[in-house]
Amino acid sequence: MSSSSTTLAPPVVGQGRVRQFLVTPIGAQLTAIVVFIILWQLVTVIAPRVPGPVSVAQFLWVELSGGSHGGVVRGQFWQHFAHTLRHFSLGLLIGFVPGLLVGVLIGSSRIAQALLNDTVLVLLTLPAFVWAFLTTMWFGISWQAPVLTVAFASFPFVTINVAQGVRSITPELKNMSRAFDVPRSRQFRHLTIAAVTGYIFAGLRFAIIIGWNGILLSEWFSGQAGVGFRTRYWFDANRYRGFVGWVIVFIVFIVVLDRLILNRLQTRAFRWRDPNAADAEQVKLEQVGG
Amino acid sequence: MARVDIQNLKKVFPAPQKGGDPVVAIEDISLEVDGNVFVSVVGPSGCGKSTLLNILSGVETPSGGTVSVKEGDRPARLGYVFQDARLLPWRTVMDNMLYVRDDDGKTAQSSAERYLEMVGLNHTGEMFPGQLSGGMQQRVGIARAFSVEPDLLLMDEPFSHLDAITARSLRDHLQVLWTATRKTVLFVTHDVVEAVQLSDRIIVLAPGGRIFDDIAIGLEHPRRAADPKVATLQAEILGRFEEMHPSGTANLENLV
Amino acid sequence: MTDAIAEVTPDREDLKLAQRRSAAGSRRRRYLAVGAGWVGFILLWWAASALVGSEARLPSPPRVLEEIRGILAEDFWNQFWASIVRVVAGFLAAIVIGTPLGFLMGRSRYWGNFLQAPVVVAGSIPGLTYAVLAFVIFGISFWGPVMAVSLISMPYVAINVAEGVHGVNRGLVDMSRAYGRSERQVFKHVVVPSVLPFIFAGVRLSFSLAWKVGTLTEVFGSSKGIGFQIRRNFQLFNMPAVIAWVLLFIVFMLLLERLILVRMERRLFRWRQWEHDR
Repeated sequence: MSSSSTTLAPPVVGQGRVRQFLVTPIGAQLTAIVVFIILWQLVTVIAPRVPGPVSVAQFLWVELSGGSHGGVVRGQFWQHFAHTLRHFSLGLLIGFVPGLLVGVLIGSSRIAQALLNDTVLVLLTLPAFVWAFLTTMWFGISWQAPVLTVAFASFPFVTINVAQGVRSITPELKNMSRAFDVPRSRQFRHLTIAAVTGYIFAGLRFAIIIGWNGILLSEWFSGQAGVGFRTRYWFDANRYRGFVGWVIVFIVFIVVLDRLILNRLQTRAFRWRDPNAADAEQVKLEQVGG
Repeated sequence: MARVDIQNLKKVFPAPQKGGDPVVAIEDISLEVDGNVFVSVVGPSGCGKSTLLNILSGVETPSGGTVSVKEGDRPARLGYVFQDARLLPWRTVMDNMLYVRDDDGKTAQSSAERYLEMVGLNHTGEMFPGQLSGGMQQRVGIARAFSVEPDLLLMDEPFSHLDAITARSLRDHLQVLWTATRKTVLFVTHDVVEAVQLSDRIIVLAPGGRIFDDIAIGLEHPRRAADPKVATLQAEILGRFEEMHPSGTANLENLV
Repeated sequence: MTDAIAEVTPDREDLKLAQRRSAAGSRRRRYLAVGAGWVGFILLWWAASALVGSEARLPSPPRVLEEIRGILAEDFWNQFWASIVRVVAGFLAAIVIGTPLGFLMGRSRYWGNFLQAPVVVAGSIPGLTYAVLAFVIFGISFWGPVMAVSLISMPYVAINVAEGVHGVNRGLVDMSRAYGRSERQVFKHVVVPSVLPFIFAGVRLSFSLAWKVGTLTEVFGSSKGIGFQIRRNFQLFNMPAVIAWVLLFIVFMLLLERLILVRMERRLFRWRQWEHDR
């Protein structure tokens, strides 16, 4: 059916091996990045207030190396980054463990599900910035505010995914184990944990994405240090190259962590898992945001 | 009443894998169809019968030879019935009937209704294809093909996906439609028995895309499957098939 | 012999009735449990608030209710309408931009690869970025939230449309061509209805996300809307008002999603309910 082909040809660029490389997936992605940087540079011509790629790169260099930003202000990178990472990890832990427990509860007991599910759904719809506000109002400018923002924001995602995972242990699997007369503890171990780990991992990924979002917001609104705080520092000082530089830092961090590291880990480790889990991910992706 | 004129048709597909041989779907077919006749094209898989239909309908282009499908001087208007009904699932039955027509309005609608009635589906106009059974959907497909009043009707194994009982009923519906309208039909099937029941002429293709035989059937229409005259003819022609394409069953007698 | 067997097996009608009764019973029990869950939650909240002891730190349910009533009486609808208009406008922009982009991505492998990186990154960018970006570009304006919403939903629409384009039924396209339908007709009657469910999926997926980002953007750069109200009360340290606005935000977002989106989906895709696997 070649006459009814629906594919469009790629744009003609050059000849030979260069063109061949450009048409490959990696070539196309690299081209996209280059085009983006060029467009960015063009934007600065139209809107001079917007910092260009070169000045942002310069800024990042100074900030990362701890050099001087012209005068009194010194580059500070690692202390802020480490500050945020500490609170981020603590918050994740505080959100993850209860999420795991409640998720198992909801997934295994119909009564628990009926009682708790709606509450969890409501928590899912709360934007992260609301948690940032609430925790600030409760704890003021403190370490608790960002940590708990991460915890509250990520908790429902972990719960929902774990519940789905527990539910995915279909009755047939349970019956099968019973039919073969496997002792209950071994049954629990092999069945439950193996099937659920895939979902737990998915829940963890969502927790990380929204938790990162949450801590940036919390530090922006009420931090004394950290990535969010430093981003705001440059923004308030009207030094937009600094602001954009830090924006790039936190975007690159989450993209590398989620898309490059966790994504690969997940597909490699959980190739066998329940195809329905992919639906859970897709459905819940919508909830992640501001 | 269309005139189909095929001279030395050849169709080659590029090799499916690198370094393989190109696939010769049709080696050499020359054939003429003229008049309001029901012609079946029969053969085993790989004999090029579906490719032939695709070329006639314009979906594929020939690699060699000429194909001419005309009604008088102008290109013939085509109707097409596929193995699967190919109804738009998001449109009602009536909308599906109207989709393939070039006219619109009241005349189009009443004409479409008439054809639906001829296949016994006059109450389904507002239903969606998903609400109909496979056999009913195919009936709509047939009604749709006839309703555009084509010069040439192409049918590609339209009953092969249906169960035997539904298929038998649909063959009767088809004969009702055909005897009422007497279109030129080119009917592809792998089922010799079916071909004998329905056609005036059977063209037998051999694997590789050559014409092996051209059989004329003289019985009048419509033909009942249970009619002894039809049955005798079916047995005779089946026998000729055995000669051309001896299957394992030819040796059945030796086994017993 | 057959009589004896007939006595043992229950009458089909009785069996169906029993099944229906038990289904209704378990449904009733489920509703009760859900209701109990809500009551329990509110009671827990009340208890916690009593423990904390301060309406400013953790307001009790009646206090919040009072606040909600006040808001509804005043200018809630004004603010709500402002927020809705922004989100809808952003959504429409996302569809208008995302659909052709999705078509491009779906039909051409090159463009699929080229656009995949930016689209995926756009989907992973923290909402904060969009909110502040919108504020920087537009200042305090209507357009900021619109831009943020469209930027964050557009990847979902584009990716889903790309998927939908792959799924266009070739058989239906061939049928249309065999019957001499024009390219325009094929587009209108085959391609668009095939892709529409995917556009809708993109819309549904990104709906709550868009709502959240839109509200966050209002927090930064707006003088109207639910997000603005939440921020205002945050700065005033008015906890009951913050919670009241947040609850209203949630309720209306869920209502919108259930009422409008689900209804639209049912009407647009009426034909699907009878499609079963063949």
